[in-house]
Amino acid sequence: MEQEPRIGVFICSCGTNIGGVVNVPEVTEYAKTIPHVIHADHNLYTCSEAGLTAIKESIKEHNLNRVVVASCTPRTHEPLFRAACREASLNPYLFEMANIREHVSWVHPHDPEKATRKAKDIVRMAVAKAALLEPQTEPEVEVKGSSLVIGAGVAGLTAALSMASQGFKVYLIEKEKELGGMARRLYKLYPTLADSSEVVGPLTKDVESHENIEVMTSASLKDISGYVGNFNAVLTGPEGDKEVDVGTVIVAAGSSNYTPPKGLYEYGVHDHVITQGELDEKLKKGEIGEPERIVMIQCVGARKGEIRPSALEAFPKSDTAELLRKILKARKEEGWPYCSRICCMNAIKNAILIKEKSPKTDVVVLFGDLRVYKEYEDFYRKARDLEVRFIRHIEEARPEITRTPDGKLQVMAYDALAGLEVKFPADWVVLSTPLIPSKDEIMLGRMLKIPIATDGFLMEAHLKLRPVDTNVEGVFIAGTVSGPKDVSESIVSGEAAAARASILMGNGKVRTDAITAVVDEDLCIGCGLCEEICPYGAPRIEDGKSKIREILCRGCGSCAAECPKRAITMRHYGDNQLLAQVKALLVPQSHEGGLT
Amino acid sequence: MVKENLEKVAEGEFEPLIIAYCCNWCSYAGADLAGTSRFEYPTNIRIIRIMCTGRMDSTLVLEALRMGADGVLIAGCHPGDCHYQKGNFMMEKRFDYLKKAVKNIGIEPERVRLEWVSASEGGKWAALVREMAEEIKQLGPSPFRLRSIPKKTDAAIDAFKSQRLRWVVGRSQIKVEIEEQKYRQTVDLIMQVEIERHMITLALKEKGPLTAEELSQITGLQPNKTMQHLIALRRDGIVIEAGEKNNQYLYQLV
Repeated sequence: MEQEPRIGVFICSCGTNIGGVVNVPEVTEYAKTIPHVIHADHNLYTCSEAGLTAIKESIKEHNLNRVVVASCTPRTHEPLFRAACREASLNPYLFEMANIREHVSWVHPHDPEKATRKAKDIVRMAVAKAALLEPQTEPEVEVKGSSLVIGAGVAGLTAALSMASQGFKVYLIEKEKELGGMARRLYKLYPTLADSSEVVGPLTKDVESHENIEVMTSASLKDISGYVGNFNAVLTGPEGDKEVDVGTVIVAAGSSNYTPPKGLYEYGVHDHVITQGELDEKLKKGEIGEPERIVMIQCVGARKGEIRPSALEAFPKSDTAELLRKILKARKEEGWPYCSRICCMNAIKNAILIKEKSPKTDVVVLFGDLRVYKEYEDFYRKARDLEVRFIRHIEEARPEITRTPDGKLQVMAYDALAGLEVKFPADWVVLSTPLIPSKDEIMLGRMLKIPIATDGFLMEAHLKLRPVDTNVEGVFIAGTVSGPKDVSESIVSGEAAAARASILMGNGKVRTDAITAVVDEDLCIGCGLCEEICPYGAPRIEDGKSKIREILCRGCGSCAAECPKRAITMRHYGDNQLLAQVKALLVPQSHEGGLT
Repeated sequence: MVKENLEKVAEGEFEPLIIAYCCNWCSYAGADLAGTSRFEYPTNIRIIRIMCTGRMDSTLVLEALRMGADGVLIAGCHPGDCHYQKGNFMMEKRFDYLKKAVKNIGIEPERVRLEWVSASEGGKWAALVREMAEEIKQLGPSPFRLRSIPKKTDAAIDAFKSQRLRWVVGRSQIKVEIEEQKYRQTVDLIMQVEIERHMITLALKEKGPLTAEELSQITGLQPNKTMQHLIALRRDGIVIEAGEKNNQYLYQLV
């Protein structure tokens, strides 16, 4: 094979973050004694320009063919150091990191001696893995300049318009007959009290008249195959099936409104108990009139019920119908565990609308917690100025529906501030219910292989850093598919998803991760277990042997762990590379450390 | 070495070494968060980063135990949160069998744990390490550090590398036609059989041709059981007769 490993080790003090606990010079001297280590040095900040330059120069000076940096977590800094290796003409996969900050100095600040010993172990383990690293090539694929947007609510419309305006071809599908999604059915929007049609109308018109957008209504995604840059989607609508080739996909399929089970607060029993959404429609049609009192109850079906992983136990069997049935059944009975974000503002908005039309109507909002933020605080004050009554009940004691002696609808609650039981005869009782994951959205997630979070919404690649990306490259999410959002937030996420997709389409090509499965064809017997296990359909049996389509492989390694012939190995995470770390820790040779 | 170890334990100096295989997306990030949040915990853990617990071949755990790890932790995303959809579920399925094998080779099953730690659970990570380190301190050093390692360990590793056991464990990841309980029993049985057969093949590998009686003595298996395995191994073309000794057949590896 190749040349002997010549490893350079660079140990970072991270100011005093590491150096304040771990004896960095001692670890450096120790590193020099580890087999294959040609050069070891320490810096104040290895990630600084000076630190990176030192790495690059050392690679040349000492003819290094592997680099180990002992510093912070690879989850944030690996790309930076890999880039430095690349600049010094060293394959970036010949780089390994030892995490001695998050996993050592920050968690063992009061035991410098043991922390230093642990740091030495971790460096030794990283060197052992580095010695076995192999150069890898990241496959490059072309990205088609076209996109499929699923769902024509405000998020989908915005995303479609943004991409089309940049010159990309967009296919927009909507399951309903009309565009506009959930926002189309709303009456007024908070906090401007503008008619929702003022937002949805122009957006719809622009989309419908755009030359780069092809709209299909009453349509859905029937099937999708392919990978980033080259998806093949089968769309189905009233005129039959249509196949399209697209480079990116944006899922903007929206969510649903929680419908309380029949009987909860007498919903579905008494026709004057309605949801906030139904109130919206009635206000639009002018069906509410000037009643004496309206009582709103917040968090109906929201913010309760534990997240129960057991509800998801059907997951590994890939039986979507079963999964759905379980989640939805559990939730229908127990409610959803999260705050739905929009209900407080929605209730305040409708309270204001009622008060402005009929100042004499007593509007009471019963809440456990009220969450208004940013300029919405002013909106809340406005409601108070209009004499909307906000009454806090203790969360454990939910309001109850009773009757007045003369048979009128009445809400009973425990006022937490007054410490009293209060009774409100009411003409209307309005339940504020959460946005919940829709069945269609979960099915889409499954079809596109986007993980579904325990709350049932589609999961973003990273909550903070990659909020509109998914774990499937080339597939993005916008709007309420990933959790409750109001109209303006949905528009923002639509713009964001379009921007992320456009980066790919604008570049016209993308490099994908090199960490994939590899089959040893001499060992493979073509049993097909890998084909059945893989969530991404990467392995395929051809001529009696498993062939991994690298572009589809995400590198999870499940096939390698189960292959009956042990014919599959993972690039960069091979059994030998992992066991080398174990061995370096427990049975190191020719130097100190290991079991005592 | 053994004596030194025992002395150290007696002096209360025992510091366990625990290997943690952490998935990149949840548990490794959870351990990072423990650091960022400055949650302190004992220094006994050494983390090895993997992409997904779905990648954890059972042999990676058995080998670590064989090399003397006092404990092995496998940590991944909570059910439903897997970055790769179902890798953690696959690990969970495998773990049942792995734990039985661990017990089988004479290691306390508590030394091996499978836990779910999300990227936001830095506190849980710290608490978990504290708890595990304490538990293993109570258990004392791995039996493999105090006395010679039983041959059964190598046989178990070989069994988990063998096509037959891997096939049945692998099949349990996808829908099987048989009732789950029955299927598990079948896998357990095959695991037991494979470990025993590999004890026989290991003995033949080390000592050359042996009779059934000799094999029975070396492996500690009942003579009739040894004979059953030899017949099966002969049928599978793994062993063959190699002459006679004391009126008994000698067997050797093909």
